[in-house]
Amino acid sequence: MFEALSSKILAGVVSLSMLLFSSFEGNDPSLSAINHSTSSGYLYLSGQLHSAFENDFAPIFASGVPIPIYYNLNLKKGSRMVMQKRFLHVVTFDPVTGVYEVSKEGEPEVFYTDSVEQVIRKLSSYRFKIPYQSSWGIVKVRIEAALTKVRFPDMDQEMDLMILWKLKKPSAQTQIDLRELK
Amino acid sequence: MPKIGMRAWIILFFVIVSIGGLILMNNVFQIKHDKIHDALENMELSEQFREIRLFSKEDSLKAEAMMRDFNATKAVVNVALGDSRLVTSVLLFCIIIVSSIILVVVIWRISKPLRELKHATEQIRQGNFSVHLPETGLPEMRELKNSFNVMSRELETIQTRLLVAEKEMIWKDLSRILAHEIKNPLTPIQLVIQRLEERLESNPEKVPDLLPESISIISQEIDNLRLLAQDFSNYAKVNQPNTEAVNPALSIREIVKSYSQDYQINLDLADDLQVKFDKTHFYQVVTNILQNAIDASELGGKIDIRLYGERSYVVLCIKDYGSGIESKDIPRIFEPYFSKKSKGTGLGLALVKKLCDANAVILRVKSKPNEGSEFTLIMEGYHA
Repeated sequence: MFEALSSKILAGVVSLSMLLFSSFEGNDPSLSAINHSTSSGYLYLSGQLHSAFENDFAPIFASGVPIPIYYNLNLKKGSRMVMQKRFLHVVTFDPVTGVYEVSKEGEPEVFYTDSVEQVIRKLSSYRFKIPYQSSWGIVKVRIEAALTKVRFPDMDQEMDLMILWKLKKPSAQTQIDLRELK
Repeated sequence: MPKIGMRAWIILFFVIVSIGGLILMNNVFQIKHDKIHDALENMELSEQFREIRLFSKEDSLKAEAMMRDFNATKAVVNVALGDSRLVTSVLLFCIIIVSSIILVVVIWRISKPLRELKHATEQIRQGNFSVHLPETGLPEMRELKNSFNVMSRELETIQTRLLVAEKEMIWKDLSRILAHEIKNPLTPIQLVIQRLEERLESNPEKVPDLLPESISIISQEIDNLRLLAQDFSNYAKVNQPNTEAVNPALSIREIVKSYSQDYQINLDLADDLQVKFDKTHFYQVVTNILQNAIDASELGGKIDIRLYGERSYVVLCIKDYGSGIESKDIPRIFEPYFSKKSKGTGLGLALVKKLCDANAVILRVKSKPNEGSEFTLIMEGYHA
C-alpha cells in the first residue's frame, strides 16, 4: 500500500515537473478497461495499452537489443492474493534484415514485421489466459504494465526504459464474479 | 501571512532571483536537448548500409556490428537525453518546493520574536505587567527582549507600589470622611447630654421640660448616622442591573411628591415613554440628582424636570437655579467623597454615575456658579 502510494506521488511529481519545466514529451501510457471471458475452464483477460510507444521508442526497438514489456497480473479475493502472474512481451530487431520480431507470452505465434508502426500496434494489446476456480468467488483483477532496465552489452550501459513512460506504470483493475462465469 | 520586515524581503528577493535563474537555466538546457534530440532522430544508418553490396563474409559481419553499435548508441543516447530532461525538471521542481517551504519557515521564524513582542506589548497595554519574554534568538533580538523584560519588571514594581499607595490613600480618605461624618452628629448628641447632666445637677425637677427637644435632637442625629451608613452601603453594593421596562414619568411623579410642598418643582413629562432601566437604580439616580438640586437651591426654589423622547432615546433633564458648580469642580463631582456641601458624604453623585454606567445611560452635566445646574440623562427607549 505504501509502495503504491509513493509510486503515485512520484508519478504526480514527475508529471507536474514535466508539465512546468520540460519540453520532453515522453509517453503517457494508460490501460483500457479489462475485458474478460471464459472458455474451457480458463479465464481470458484482454485490453489495450494506449499511448505507450509513440514517442522515442522507435530507436529503442531498433537498437537490436531485446526490449521487454511486462504485464503484472494480480487476482485478489478480499485482501488475499489468489493468483500472481507476470506476462512478458518482447520486441527484437535484426539490423541486418531490418525485421522486428514480436513475441507475446501466452500467444503461440511470433509476429514478424519491418514496420515499427505495426510493432507498436501489436504491442498495444494483450490477451492473457489463466486457469481459475469458481470457488474464488468475487475477485479483484489488477493488471499493471511496466518496463525494466535494459542492458546494452556492446556499450556496457544499462538504461531504465521507464524514463520514457515518465516513471508511470499504467494499471487497470476490475472486479469479476467467477461464480457467474460459465 | 505575517507582516515581514526588510530582512525577510531580502531573503524573499534572493530566493526569487535564484529560482528565476534556475528556471532560465533549465529552459536553455531544454532547448539544447531538443536540438540534440532532433539531430538524433535524423541520423539513419541501417537503410543505407543494407543497400550496400558486401562481397565478403568478413565485410558483412563488420557492417552488421557497426549497425548494431550505431543503433544501440542511438537508443542509449535517446534514453539518456530523456532521463536527463526528466531528472532536471524534477530536481528543479523539488528545489522550488523545498526553497518555498524553507522561505516560509525562515520568514515565520524571523517574524516570531516580533509577534511575541507585539503580543507582550498588548498584554502590557491591558495592564498585565507580569509578562516576560524568553531571551532567545539573534543577539539583537535577545537584547531587545532583555530591555523589554527589564521594562516590564520595572512597570510591575511601580504598579505594585502605586496600588499600595492608592489603597493607603483610599483608607486615609475614607477614615477622614468617616471620622468627620460620625463626629458631626455626635457633637449635638454630646451637647444635649451635657445640658441634661447640668440640668440634672442644678434643677432636677425641670429635666422633663428639656426631654422632648433633647430626644428629638438625638433621634435626628441617629437618623443622620443611619443615612450615612445607608449611603456607604448603597455605594458599595451596586448590583448587576436587572433591566426592565420602566415608565420614567410615573416614577418621577412618585419621587417628586415628597419634595413638592417645599419647592417649586415644574414637571414637563411625556407620559407614554418607557426606558430600559433597573427600576431600583432609576429611583436611586433620580432621587440623588433631585436631592442634589434641592441642596443647591433655597427653600421654595424652582426646579424644572423635563422628560421627552428623541429618536430611540428618552431624555431626562433636571435643572435647578441654585448655587451651581464651579467649572474647575465639574470634572470631579462624580468622584467618591468629593463634596462642597457642608453636609453629605460626597457619595450621592458618585453613586449616580456608577448606576448610570451599569445601566448604559449617558449622564451629562452643565452648571454655572449662582445660575444653577442641569443634569441630563440619555436613556435607551424601550419598545415592546
